[in-house]
Order: sequence, then C-alpha cells, then structure tokens
Amino acid sequence: MKHEAPPPIADEQRLVAAHRSARRRSLRVSTAVLATQMALLAAALGLWEYGVSSSSQAAFMFGSPSAIGGHLAQMFRDGSVWRDSYVTGLETVLGFLIGNIIGTALGLALWYSRFVSRVVQPFVIAVGSIPIIALAPIVIIWFGTGLSSKIAMSTLSVVVVALVTSYKGATGVDDDQINLMRTLGASKFQIFRKLVVPASLTDIFAGLRLTVGFALIGAIVGEFMSSSEGLGHAIFKAGSLYIIPKVFAELVATIALALVLTFIVGRVERLLTPWRRAG
Amino acid sequence: MMRTMAAHAIVGEAPRQDAAPLHVQGVSKTYVGTRGVVPVIGDISLTLHRGEVVSVVGPSGCGKTTLLNVLCGLLPPDTGSVRWYGAETSGQPANVGYMLQKDLLFPWRTALANVLLGLEIRRIDRVKAEDRARAMLDQLGLHGFADAYPSTLSGGMRQRVALARTLVHEPDVLLLDEPFAALDFQTKLVIESDTVKLVRNSGRSALLITHDIEEAVSVSDRVIVLSKRPTWVKKIYEIDLGVERADMIAARESPRFVGYVRQIWADLDVARQ
Repeated sequence: MKHEAPPPIADEQRLVAAHRSARRRSLRVSTAVLATQMALLAAALGLWEYGVSSSSQAAFMFGSPSAIGGHLAQMFRDGSVWRDSYVTGLETVLGFLIGNIIGTALGLALWYSRFVSRVVQPFVIAVGSIPIIALAPIVIIWFGTGLSSKIAMSTLSVVVVALVTSYKGATGVDDDQINLMRTLGASKFQIFRKLVVPASLTDIFAGLRLTVGFALIGAIVGEFMSSSEGLGHAIFKAGSLYIIPKVFAELVATIALALVLTFIVGRVERLLTPWRRAG
Repeated sequence: MMRTMAAHAIVGEAPRQDAAPLHVQGVSKTYVGTRGVVPVIGDISLTLHRGEVVSVVGPSGCGKTTLLNVLCGLLPPDTGSVRWYGAETSGQPANVGYMLQKDLLFPWRTALANVLLGLEIRRIDRVKAEDRARAMLDQLGLHGFADAYPSTLSGGMRQRVALARTLVHEPDVLLLDEPFAALDFQTKLVIESDTVKLVRNSGRSALLITHDIEEAVSVSDRVIVLSKRPTWVKKIYEIDLGVERADMIAARESPRFVGYVRQIWADLDVARQ
C-alpha cells in the first residue's frame, strides 16, 4: 500500500475561522467580567447614595457619591488634586527609590558573608517589627517638617522589606548553579554579578510591587504628622473640619496615585525581565 | 554555602601529556553526620585513557555523585589520590568539562548567552567567543535558536545548549553525571550519539556516571560496576560490540549487547536489595 503525505493544510479557511472565533470568545468573556465589575460598582454607589439621601445627619457622617464627585470636580477645577498628588507622588517615589536601593543593596550584600548575615539577622527582625508611625516624632525632629521628613518616613517603610526580599532571593539561588559557576572558574564576585543578582530579580520585583504601597503609606503618615501640602495633608485637613466627602475624594486621588505607581513598576519589570515573557 | 575556591595548585609532580587523563587510586570518603559516621566510598580505583569513554554504573545511593565531587575537586578524598594527567591537584582540575542531569541553564540568558557564560568568566574576547559559541550551537543542531530563551526550548534542546556550554571550552575530559537521564528515549539516543562522536573524533575522553545499564554498554569502551555502600569496584567490563561506536542503534542491535546488559544487571544485585 502506498502512503500519501497529507496536503499541507487541510482547510486553511476553517482553521483561521476557528482561531478567530476562539479569540472572539475570550474577548467576550473579558468584556463580561468588566461589565459585571462596573455593574457592582454602580450598584454599591447607588445604594450608598440612596441610603444617605433620607437624612442629612447620615449624609454628613458618611458622605455621598454625588458629594464626593462634587469635591473631586472642585479639586480638578482649582488644580489642588494635581499639586497634592505631585507632592505626595514625589515623596513616595523618592522614598521608594532610596529605600529599595539601600535595602536591596544590603540584602544582596548579605549573601557575601554567611557570618555577617547571621550576626545581623536578629537586628533586622527587631528593626523590621517597629511600626513606622512610632518613629514619626523622631523623624520630624531629625528631618524637620518639610519634604525630607516625608521621604525619610517613606524610605523607612520600604527599606526592611526590600532587604528581606532581596536577601531571600539571593540565598535561594540553586547550589548546583553556584557549583557550575565554580567549575567554570568564576570568582566570588563573578558568581554574584552573573548569577546571584539576576537570579534574585524575581524576588526583588515582588518586593518592589509590595513596597509601592508601603512607600505611599510612609509618605501619607509623614504628612499626617506635620505638613502644608500633599494628599495626606488634604485628607487630614478635611477630616479635622468634618468634611467627610472631601476625605473620600482625596482617598480616590490617593488610590489613583497608587494604581499609577504600581502600573509603572509592572511596566519596568516587564522591560527588565524579558525572559519571563518568553515561553 | 560558599567556599573560597582552591587554586589550581599542583601538589605533586607536573602534569604530563602522555599520562592517562584521569587516574584514581584507592580513594575512600566518609561522611560524619548527626547520625554517626557513614562510609560512602570504601575503595575505588579506576583509570581513564585518552580517547576512551568509560561508564560507572552502580545501585542507587552508592555514592556516584560523591565520587564525581571528589573527582572534580569539590570534595577532598579521605585516603587515596586523584591524578589528572599524572599530577595530583587540589581544587578544580584544568580542561575538564562537566555536564549534569539538570541543564542548569540561566533563564535570563538566551541560548547563545548561556554558552558564552564560561567564556565571559575567562574574559575571552567577545567577538571570538561569540563565533565559537555560535559554531558550537550550529554543530549541535541548534542553528537559529541562538537568541531563544531556555523557557522556549524543549528538554532535548536545553540539554544540547548545556552540552554546547560544556564543549565550547574544548575540554580534554568530560565528566558526565547522568546527563541524558531526563530525556525521552529518541532524544536520548541522538544526543548520546552526538556526544560520543564529539568525544571520539577529537581524541577527548569521557567519564559517564549513570544508572542506565543499556546506556553504559552502548556508549562505553569500559563499564565499571560499583557495589552498594561503602562502594568498591565490583567488576570491570571491556565492551566490544563489534560495531561503529557512535551508532547507538547498531550498538543496541549487536548480538553481544544483551549479554553485557544481563551480566551487569546480575552484578548490581538489584532484585535482592
């Protein structure tokens, strides 16, 4: 019996059509998820609006979506949302960068010496367990009431987490890979630079995503203590004046800032770890 | 975890090119653990000559990996000597390439960059190094995959990249620790054949540590059978299959093949353990 090779593509049009319909289906599912999320949000806001509409006391205590929207619009009109977001964003970004650079450098450097890392371990745990807000009074005495005290608060919230995650990444490197480097004749510094640092990137980026939020908390807590501008300042001031919807409006701006910063970190991660997109 | 790397210090006489690449004499190794003293290697002697492929087979847990670590200088033996080209060295022997079951490719490096790793460490000129690495990948049938990340490659291709990373240094001796164990049968035969060809055609030597008896018989000139712990050399077989030695199918079809496999299987005494 003679075997014949099958034709190159059985039915190209049908394959393409099947592929397209599969993509349409997955798009439909994403659209449905988004629509449900929107509906839930709308329902929650509607309920909130309706719930506080009957009594002015409730509206005063809990605010209402329409009042929050009004304050947001006002914040955009007078430009305060941009100014406050810029100030808080700057404090957060600087604290995030300084904290992560110091923390990651220390965490990776601890890989170099088992002895040093064992010596400092209890101190790191002790410092890491301090609630950052408890340091605020000292930070203000040391750094004053300006920008630098908020950056310091933000840095302090970040640095221990960055240290712990990068150290975990560095010590998690496969011993067989280290032996491979040694059999190739690598020096300890070459092992560090060509193996330990890139292998730790996954953990370091997990730390970065985590510490965006911590840096923001540090900056806002710093602003609560003493400040003349920033989202934390605006929240604190509105709260002191019992303007609840304004507090919520500033919170919305804070959430937006957090989302933007997280998005940027995610983008940078994708850019710097191209191998994780492959395969 | 880390030790400072011992320099390539020559303890005894200078290496001689006419001496056997590897000569192991009366090596023993004992571990002292929390549960007492565990003698792993009792007494092992073996010789690897130029151009030879020698396999070491033994029952599971017989200390094959300990033996490998002693040979490549990661562990010092308690007694006996390990001589590379007639010289007793401490630390890493020169011109020895290793390959393990795990490919240990770095996921953040492309296939080409993985092959370049050792050349970068030795600070070899980038352009020359790239030419050598590309030529090595081409030779192993990976043309067009130089810029692929390991995560996009199949198990067989990854192991080929690891082989290229080992061979790009043009080592005189290959130490192989079950490098084909994780591959599917077809891929295994092809890569075994490629490896054996590369060793034999260029006057290199290879020591293969494996638990796959058929693999040992089909690729080797000599098979060394180890006992269980504390390990000693139980038997040595000179393999003569009467066929072209890089042809894995011909080797396995040779009428003498089954005889060797049966005998070694009996020596290993697996059924009674």
